[in-house]
Amino acid sequence: MNQRETIELLARSEDQISPGISACVGCNVELTLRTCMQVMGPNTIFAIPPGCMGGVGVVGWDKQSGAKIPVFFPLLDNPASMLAGIKMHYDRIGEDVNVVAFAGDGASVDCGFQALSGAAERGDKIIYICYDNEGYMNTGYQRSGSTTKGAWTSTTPVSKDGRGGKKQNKKDMPMIMAMHDLPYMATMSPAFIPDMVTKLEKAKAVKSGLVYLHVYNPCVTGWGFKSDESIELCRLSVETNYAPLFEVENGKFTLNRSLDNPKPLADFIKRFKKFRHLGDEEIAALQELCDSKAERLKNLASL
Amino acid sequence: MSKVQVMNGNMAAAIGAAMCRPDIIAAYPITPQTPIVEYLADFVIDGKLDASVSEVESELSAMSVVTGASLAGSRVFTASASQGLSLMYEPYFRASTLRLPVVMAVANREMISPQTLWGGPQDTLSVRDAGWLQIYCEDNQEILDTMIMAFRLAEDKNVLLPINVCFDGFYLSHMAERVEIPEQEDVDAFVPKYVPEHIKLDPKKPMAVDPLTNGYLLAEYRLKHMMAQQNALKLIDEIDEEYEKKFGRSYGGAIEEYKCEDADYIIVTMGSMTGVAKDRVDAARAAGKKVGLVKVRIVRPFPGDKIANALKNCKAFGVVDRNVSFGWNTGIIYEEVCAAMFRNNLLIPNVPFIAGLGGEDVTGEHFDYAIDTVIAQEGNADKHYTVWLNREDKGI
Repeated sequence: MNQRETIELLARSEDQISPGISACVGCNVELTLRTCMQVMGPNTIFAIPPGCMGGVGVVGWDKQSGAKIPVFFPLLDNPASMLAGIKMHYDRIGEDVNVVAFAGDGASVDCGFQALSGAAERGDKIIYICYDNEGYMNTGYQRSGSTTKGAWTSTTPVSKDGRGGKKQNKKDMPMIMAMHDLPYMATMSPAFIPDMVTKLEKAKAVKSGLVYLHVYNPCVTGWGFKSDESIELCRLSVETNYAPLFEVENGKFTLNRSLDNPKPLADFIKRFKKFRHLGDEEIAALQELCDSKAERLKNLASL
Repeated sequence: MSKVQVMNGNMAAAIGAAMCRPDIIAAYPITPQTPIVEYLADFVIDGKLDASVSEVESELSAMSVVTGASLAGSRVFTASASQGLSLMYEPYFRASTLRLPVVMAVANREMISPQTLWGGPQDTLSVRDAGWLQIYCEDNQEILDTMIMAFRLAEDKNVLLPINVCFDGFYLSHMAERVEIPEQEDVDAFVPKYVPEHIKLDPKKPMAVDPLTNGYLLAEYRLKHMMAQQNALKLIDEIDEEYEKKFGRSYGGAIEEYKCEDADYIIVTMGSMTGVAKDRVDAARAAGKKVGLVKVRIVRPFPGDKIANALKNCKAFGVVDRNVSFGWNTGIIYEEVCAAMFRNNLLIPNVPFIAGLGGEDVTGEHFDYAIDTVIAQEGNADKHYTVWLNREDKGI
C-alpha cells in the first residue's frame, strides 16, 4: 500500500477502542493499539493479557467494556494458546474471524513465550502483536528478557556511583520468531504508521499460520523522557538501526527502510533517564552489537 | 443393543468422551493418562470422531486451548494427571471462574516428591477448591458412563461448570475390564448439543470477557458459582436416575451406599479400592458383623448431607483415604466427612485411615483390619489416631 492508501484506510475505519482509557500522557502504545485494531476492524476478537493495556482498561471495568469488539483478558502466560482455541472454533464452523493478541514483552518474550512458540510451531492462525517497551511497565518497570543491556529498572537498580543496570543483552524476539518459519513476521513502529498499516493488512491476509508483529515502544514513564518526545524517539529507534523495520515472508527477509548511514545509537540512548549512568564504553558496546545485528539483517535480506 | 468390549480405563474414558462428540480436544502426554490422547487421535484419523485436535506443547496450553475454544462456543475435552494438572493450575482455576463446561479426564497420579508415577488422587484432591466439579470412579464401566453423564452435568444451564472425571492411574487407566458401550444415538439423545448463552466471544455480538472487576461484583460471581455447585449436587442424582432408565446402569448419584441400611459399622471409600472393600464387607457380613460401605463419587460439590444421612445410624465409621491432608494428619476425605457429620449434629466414633499411597495395593487384609478397628472403636468417644494401613507389611 502507498502512504495515501494507508491514510485513507485509517480515515474510513472506525476506532475500536474506548476513548476513555487511562494510558499515560504521550503513551505510544495506545496509538499503536488503536491503529492495529482500527485496521483489524470489527470482525475481530482480541486479547489483552495483564500489562499496560490491560491495566489502563482496554478490556473494561466491572460491567463496561473498553472496546467495541469482543475483547478478553487472557492470562499472562497463555494468550497464544487461548487464542488458538478460539481460532480453532471459528475455523471449525467456517467463519473467518481475525483472532489477535496485543501483548507486552513480558507476556511475550518471557512468561508467555512457551505458549507463543508452541502456537507458532503448530501454525495456529492467530495474529500476535507484541508491544515491546522493554519491561514490566504496569508493575513499575521491572526488567524483562527484552530489556536493553545496561538499563536501569526497578529490579536492576543503579548505585549512586553508577554501578548496576541490566547485565544481559536484550532477547532478539523478532529474529527468534522469524526462525519459527512463520508465514509472516514483521517489525513495526508507531513513528511509521503507513508502514504499520501496510503490515497489518498483510497480516490479515495470511491464512496459513501464525503472524508475529513486533512493535518497539519506548515508554514515557518507565524510561524517563518527555511525553511530547514520544514519536520522535520511536523514529530515532528506527533511524539508529536499534529497532529496524523489516519483514519476513515465508523465509524471505525484506528491509522496509535502508539500514545504511544510521544515526549514532548514542543519540537515542542518551535521551533516556534509564541509560543516564552508562559510560562511553558501554554505549560503544551497544553500538557494536547494533551494527553487527544490522549487518546480519542486511545479509539475510540479500539472500 | 450395546456392544461389549474388554478395555482399559483410558480407553473407556476416550470412548465415553468421543461419544459426546467434542468439537475441540487439546491434551499433552503424561503417564498414566497418555493413551487417552492417543486413542482420541486414532478415532479422529480413522474418521470415527469429527473433532479438531491440538497437540499442544504443554498442559498449560492444553487447558488454555480448550478454555479458549469453549469461550468461542465449542464443546471441549482434555485429559491430564498429576504434574500436568499442576502445570495447568492457572487456566484450570480460570476455566471454572469463567463458568466454562470443560470436561477433563484425570488418570489420578501421586504428586512428587519423591519421584513417582503411580496411582492416587492427591493431584485432583489438592485442587478441589478451584471451583470444578470432581467425580471419582470405581471401575472402567463407571468411567465410560460417568464421562457421558459429565458432559450433561457440566453443560446444564443451572450448572455451567468444568468437571474432572477421575480414576486411579494404572489400577483403572491400564487395567482391562468388561465394558458395555452404549449406542451412539442414545448418547446423542442424552447429551444434546452445547449452545452457550452465558459467555461467548463472537464479533457478531461483542462482549468483554473479564474486565477489571471490583470486589462487590466478584462476590456476586462467587455466590453464583457456589450456587451452581449446589445445583450440581441435586442434578447428579437426577442424571444418574435418568441414565439408569436409558442405559440400565446406576451409580447412586453423589454417593453409592452398599449394605448400609442396617449397618452398625460403615467404611467410607473412594475410587478403585472400593471393589475389594465391598468384597471384605461381604466377608464381614458372612461372619456376622453388620458392616456397610459408602463410596464417595462426587467430591465437589461435597455430598455432606447424603453421607451424614447414610452414616447417621451406625455405631462407628472409618474413612479410608488414598491421599493425605498435610496439616490435618489425616486423609482429605476424612476431614470432609467429619465436617459433614458435625454440620448435621452427628457425633459418632470414627477412625481415619490412610492407605495405598504412591499406587500401593490396598488389600483385603487392609480392609479386614480397618473393619475390625472400626468395630473396636464403638462406644469410644476419644479421637482415634490415623491408621496407616500399608506400613507394617512393608516393614517400614
